[in-house]
Amino acid sequence: MNKLTKMIVVLSVIGLVSGGILSLMYQWAEPKIKVNQIKANDAAVFQVVPGTVKYKQISDKDLTYFECYGQRGEKTGTAILCQGNGYQGVIKMMVGVNADFSKFTGMIVLEQVETPGLGAKIAEGAFTAQFKGLASKPPIEYVKSAKPSKLNQIEAITGATISSRAVVNIINKTVQQWQQAK
Amino acid sequence: MAASKVKRGYLTEYLKGLWDENPVFRQLLGMCPTLAVTTSTINGLSMGLATTFVLVCSSTIVSLIRKLIPDQVRIASFIVVIATFVTMADLFLKGIFPDISKALGPFVPLIVVNCIILGRAEVFASKNDPAKSFVDALGMGSGFVVALTVLGTIREIFGTGSLFGLVNFEPWVIMILPGGAFITLGLLIGLLNYLKEKTGQQQAAPACLPVDSQAEVN
Amino acid sequence: MSFLITSSPHSNDFGSVPLMMRTVIIGLLPATIAGIVLFGWPALLVILSSVIAAVLTELAVNKIMKVEPTISDGSAALTGLLLALTLSPVMPWWQAALGAVFAIAVGKMLFGGLGYNIFNPALVGRAFLAAAFPVQMTTWAAPMFWRGVEAVSSATPLALMKFQQQTTVYSKLFFGNVSGCIGETSALLLLLPALFFMFKGLINWRIPASYLGSVAVLGGLFWLIDPTKYPDPLFHLLAGGLMLGALYMATDLVTSPLTPKGMWVFGAAAGVLVVVIRLFSGLPEGVMYSILIMNAFVPLINCYTRPRILGYPQKRFGRPVK
Repeated sequence: MNKLTKMIVVLSVIGLVSGGILSLMYQWAEPKIKVNQIKANDAAVFQVVPGTVKYKQISDKDLTYFECYGQRGEKTGTAILCQGNGYQGVIKMMVGVNADFSKFTGMIVLEQVETPGLGAKIAEGAFTAQFKGLASKPPIEYVKSAKPSKLNQIEAITGATISSRAVVNIINKTVQQWQQAK
Repeated sequence: MAASKVKRGYLTEYLKGLWDENPVFRQLLGMCPTLAVTTSTINGLSMGLATTFVLVCSSTIVSLIRKLIPDQVRIASFIVVIATFVTMADLFLKGIFPDISKALGPFVPLIVVNCIILGRAEVFASKNDPAKSFVDALGMGSGFVVALTVLGTIREIFGTGSLFGLVNFEPWVIMILPGGAFITLGLLIGLLNYLKEKTGQQQAAPACLPVDSQAEVN
Repeated sequence: MSFLITSSPHSNDFGSVPLMMRTVIIGLLPATIAGIVLFGWPALLVILSSVIAAVLTELAVNKIMKVEPTISDGSAALTGLLLALTLSPVMPWWQAALGAVFAIAVGKMLFGGLGYNIFNPALVGRAFLAAAFPVQMTTWAAPMFWRGVEAVSSATPLALMKFQQQTTVYSKLFFGNVSGCIGETSALLLLLPALFFMFKGLINWRIPASYLGSVAVLGGLFWLIDPTKYPDPLFHLLAGGLMLGALYMATDLVTSPLTPKGMWVFGAAAGVLVVVIRLFSGLPEGVMYSILIMNAFVPLINCYTRPRILGYPQKRFGRPVK
């Protein structure tokens, strides 16, 4: 066997073997990964729209939202996936609104890379809890170093105005898109 | 050189990775995951373990097939072997430990380009028998795990301002940021060099001198 | 009769390092005292802890490195003082001390001590604190808050400008009756001693002139483009730490260029950075980063602005330039 054939044969065999092993591994892992993703999504939707037992995913262009239904099949609200740029990178959130779209029912941050200890506080309960029960019209506003005085206001995180503002802007923008698409 | 090489026991081969040739503190290899993911003990530990898994498996396989691989395509072959194990590790983490997989983010697939792994395959596994390569990889992997866990622990303690929940103080945010990784690593390397000088050991980083491992070449 | 023959450079007045450091410290005293008067005991505590920590750290590092103590040259005390002047008066004292430890140990001594550091040590300490304790570093106090005149939390003029589009009256900025770092509030008290030192040749006038000049020109340019959106050049000059940075930090002999041409480049580029950071980044103030970034360019600037030796071709990086 000359050098060239040997090279080709060896590399092909190695490639084939590793490809075979990987396809087996993938078959084993894929359903588990799917289950994990669904579980994570379930948890997020159930948390932002309380009382939900099942939901239907609707994707419209770059907008994704979940129509939520309760035990007896009644509509409990909608969970909207919000995404946009924060201070350092993309912030991804799930926001819940109630069935007649009069108030927000919850918000959780799915992904963010804000400054730890500062902007990253947007993912903490103290901040996200403010969105629960918040009036959804007019658009959300934020106030700094003061208690919110109106129904549609939240208090920005001290020292992290930019991240707080980003969260508010992303939510307002996505909710507006959703209303137009609905 | 060759004679002393053969006599080197398995224990020595293992221990060199932990201390004398520690991949992070002595060879300064694999800096990308070292600096990027060590924001907490668990992240450092799991990254270290994932890398060790890939390192041990790929070193053993490379050593097993080392005589079959033509010289001209050896790097390509090594990379295919390494990439296979990395993908396996990635799929495994995604399937079983989704939280850790999310925390480590893109750095699990990036183990492919971790120079410790290709480095060990090239300078050691491709020139030594499988048993020795296994021990060598295990030693290097352990050294990597120790380094990443220590870094992760120090950064977590200062960055979250809590010493295992016992003592609480104002967190130093910089320690969680990339800058804190550089500062911690630099100070740790300085400390280890200082200790090494104190104990009177020679300050050589043998991995930089591949002559040592070439004893059995050809 | 014997002659003392030495090669250039020949020293004139203020030749010695300790004397120089002491004069700069004295020059900073008016602003320091004003800071203490404005912000009260907390400010004094921050200043004392920073200075003492800086001097003790230098002593400790000297001991570890087994060299003669170098604290008597006053540079450590000056670093501590400069650092304290760039901190918020309500900063916890131990954080100020930690910043001073970092400034001296990492910013100066690890590079080999005075004369070898690449970056301005006080600003290294401040950058560390800004990254480590962002909340405390951006919590300000209104002047005279210790008399209970106003609430403790108060925004700086630059932050007001950036986030709420509010301007502050110039006389307040000039005399220092605004919230901000301990030593940056009054442009007047920083400017007067500096002018005296420039007159005496102690501080080189080129860096402050080009620094402040480029801030004024570029800031003015944006103001002319859209006066409603961007603040006017005078506000740029008086607000924030620009005066302190331009007069006492950018002029640090160790970390600034050697040649007159280089000084112009250094100052002008730092000024551009300040305006860009202030107007277009997430931070309200950019003096610290502008000086640190330009510090890193100093060796390059020195290299490119080296004067030609008479009778020899121009050289750069050891090779003749075509």
